[in-house]
Amino acid sequence: MFFNDLKQTRGKIYISNDWCKGCGFCVQFCPKGVLDTSPEYNAKGYHPPYVKNPDACHDCMFCQMICPEFSIYVIKEEATNKGETNK
Amino acid sequence: MSKKRTGVFVCHCGTNIAATVDVAKVAKEMAGEDTVAFTKEYVYMCSEPGQESVVQAIKDNKLDSVVVTCCSPNLHEKTFRDNATRAGINNFTCEIANIREQCSWVHNDKAKGTEKAIKISRSVVRRVNRNQPLDAIAVNVTRRAMVIGGGVAGIQAALDIANAGVEVVLVEKQATIGGRMLQLSETFPTLDCSQCVLSPKMVEVKRHPKIKLMTYSEVQELTGSVGNFQVKALKKPTFVDPDKCKLCDECTAVCPVVVPNEYELNLTARRAIYIPYAQAIPASFTLDESVCLGLNPIVCGKCKDVCEADAINYDMRPETVTEDVGAIVVATGFDLYGQENMGELGGGKIEDVLDGLQFERLCSASGATKGHILRPSDHTEPKNVVFIQCVGSRDPAKHCAYCSKICCMYTAKHAQLYKHHVPDGRAYVFYIDIRSGGKGYEEFVQRTMEDNDTLYLRGRVSRLYRHNGKVRVLGTDTLSGQNVEIDADMVVLALAMVPSKGTTEIAKVLKIGRDKDGFLAEAHPKLKPVESVTAGIYLAGAAQAPKDIPETVAQAGAAAAKVIALLSQATLSRPPLIARVRRSHCTGCGMCVDACPFIAIRLENGKAVVNEALCEGCGSCSATCLRAAIDVKNVTQLQIYEMIEACLAV
Ligand SMILES: Cc1cc2nc3c(=O)[nH]c(=O)nc-3n(C[C@H](O)[C@H](O)[C@H](O)COP(=O)(O)OP(=O)(O)OC[C@H]3O[C@@H](n4cnc5c(N)ncnc54)[C@H](O)[C@@H]3O)c2cc1C
Ligand code: SF4
Ligand code: SF4
Ligand code: SF4
Ligand code: SF4
Repeated sequence: MFFNDLKQTRGKIYISNDWCKGCGFCVQFCPKGVLDTSPEYNAKGYHPPYVKNPDACHDCMFCQMICPEFSIYVIKEEATNKGETNK
Repeated sequence: MSKKRTGVFVCHCGTNIAATVDVAKVAKEMAGEDTVAFTKEYVYMCSEPGQESVVQAIKDNKLDSVVVTCCSPNLHEKTFRDNATRAGINNFTCEIANIREQCSWVHNDKAKGTEKAIKISRSVVRRVNRNQPLDAIAVNVTRRAMVIGGGVAGIQAALDIANAGVEVVLVEKQATIGGRMLQLSETFPTLDCSQCVLSPKMVEVKRHPKIKLMTYSEVQELTGSVGNFQVKALKKPTFVDPDKCKLCDECTAVCPVVVPNEYELNLTARRAIYIPYAQAIPASFTLDESVCLGLNPIVCGKCKDVCEADAINYDMRPETVTEDVGAIVVATGFDLYGQENMGELGGGKIEDVLDGLQFERLCSASGATKGHILRPSDHTEPKNVVFIQCVGSRDPAKHCAYCSKICCMYTAKHAQLYKHHVPDGRAYVFYIDIRSGGKGYEEFVQRTMEDNDTLYLRGRVSRLYRHNGKVRVLGTDTLSGQNVEIDADMVVLALAMVPSKGTTEIAKVLKIGRDKDGFLAEAHPKLKPVESVTAGIYLAGAAQAPKDIPETVAQAGAAAAKVIALLSQATLSRPPLIARVRRSHCTGCGMCVDACPFIAIRLENGKAVVNEALCEGCGSCSATCLRAAIDVKNVTQLQIYEMIEACLAV
């Protein structure tokens, strides 16, 4: 636990698979590399994103902002008490 | 060409040479050489009477060249060349035959040693036979200096040089100057506050009209030579304008990124935009590009939104600057040997096992805990602390062979500081021996043992592991012969001092030597302790060897004095032993152009041309040329051939 008690804010990502048109913007532009393209098809026949590194999300909501189909959104997680130490 | 008249002067060097080499026999053999007109042996050729006898012999015997068979040319080539000048002959006709370092010191069989000394001497006599009289090349001096590394060593050197009126460029890799000393709490042996003595010097650096401060910058390339270096440095973008930043701290409140704070040795966290310490110089925030969400107002931009001073600029780009300087001081400091190397002590994975610098931050009023000593695991006050000395030092089989010199002292200091903070606590120190050479140092350690009630146990710790919320320490007390088991609340390791990562990097960039342990190598262990092997590059501080602050400051002052002495000369002379092209033989193939590491050769009208200002006389060109068309003056291919012949002849 850091002595100055700083905690990294995390986000939880929700994806509405069937709205996605497979543009890949969120995967490409997430600054933390949280997302990747799923091998699955959605109802429209596109590959939607999936959450590959959930612990890396910083809740910046950029994916939500650039998604043209409103198919991805982020909700701020309760900041955990865990913090990060190098031990 | 009329026959040479060479004088050969054989030195005994007391018994250093004479014990292993029959010096009289060497002199006698040399007398038989065709070109030798005079020989003499003497007990200390470099002494005043010895040198006088060389001058006198040159005059009396009309000698035109001299071979002194003695120690390394590093030591006395200049001495004897100066004597040649005094006697009225050209100094480049004087050469040294090294029969000490390369013969007597490394052998003990006198018959064979003598035989080898004769061969070495004969080869140099043959070389001198073809030596040309040469004149040193005069070069102008750039009256500016560079100091690399802004720890206490670099700060002191920069101030000393600048106060002599010479402009200094101080290059520091991190976002602030101050180095390790800024991380310390109080310092031995007086327990005065480290920051209180260092901060005023840092401010002076910032304000000094003769100092150009470049933080967050790295040296990338060095060209030129003593008196005229060109240094290329990269200034990394901080994305915050230090002149505009008001230190309001608004940006850190909104930055969504949290990472371990390396300046607090990971005891605290920081944001992607941060200030290393409240005392940082330059006093400005810095944006850490490697963890920021993207330097893009669309992705984040939260810091820029709240910065009323408009200090944040995402468009800053790295900048490369070239500085012309005449001399360089390297003061790139030390790191601690990584805990991960100490497998038997948990390899850095056991909570509440800290290194010495982390303990300093816990004691420091401006540190992670505002000066309360607390355990990282549960933020409680440790009631017993075990300090372990010599961790990673003095262990040639597994870790560093050398003694890190300061750990005995700072461990004694840590034990005292701990007792001052936690008077009812218990401190234990595991040690091998106590090395407390230094003014007031032994008394300081005694105070730790007696007045501060610290239990010193002589012996090594064999294992550490977590047990019931504590750290179990298994060791031996070799004085009582008993095994010791302590359940400690906290363990502090006095890890070995190793050359900093930046020291390793800069040694490669500047092409200066390192010793067997990786510290920067001095030119001579006794007589040139602040000179690197490269002329014009000087060393200061813990980058050269483990040392404490007083020694660091003394060495920095010494390096500054050398720089000032060098730069106060109007011109410098460069040895004229540089490459020369025999135009009639050169076919313009250009192989030498590619071979030259100093880019000193170019082709002009189909012939190689040497730039005398750049050529270092390394001989790479000469070794490459298939037609013997390019030669280094006084080390020609013919001379080398004849020297080898002299060595091989039985
Ligand atoms: C735990 C501990 C406690 C100590 N306590 C005391 C004490 O009480 N009293 C005492 O006298 N001494 C003490 N010391 C020793 C003291 O810290 C050193 O003597 C001193 O810091 C050495 O200063 P320096 O400038 O040579 O190196 P450093 O302080 O390491 O500074 C080197 C600087 O160079 C910079 N740098 C590195 N590489 C490059 C590069 N390539 N380019 C540009 N810049 C670079 C670094 O960022 C750093 O700012 C202690 C040491 C330790 C580990
Ligand atoms: S909120 Fe930011 S970090 Fe999290 S997934 Fe979206 S773009 Fe990536
Ligand atoms: S732009 Fe970067 S530094 Fe600024 S608030 Fe966002 S993550 Fe932090
Ligand atoms: S908000 Fe601007 S002025 Fe304030 S500390 Fe951050 S960068 Fe400096
Ligand atoms: S290698 Fe020899 S022949 Fe070729 S350009 Fe150089 S000096 Fe001339």
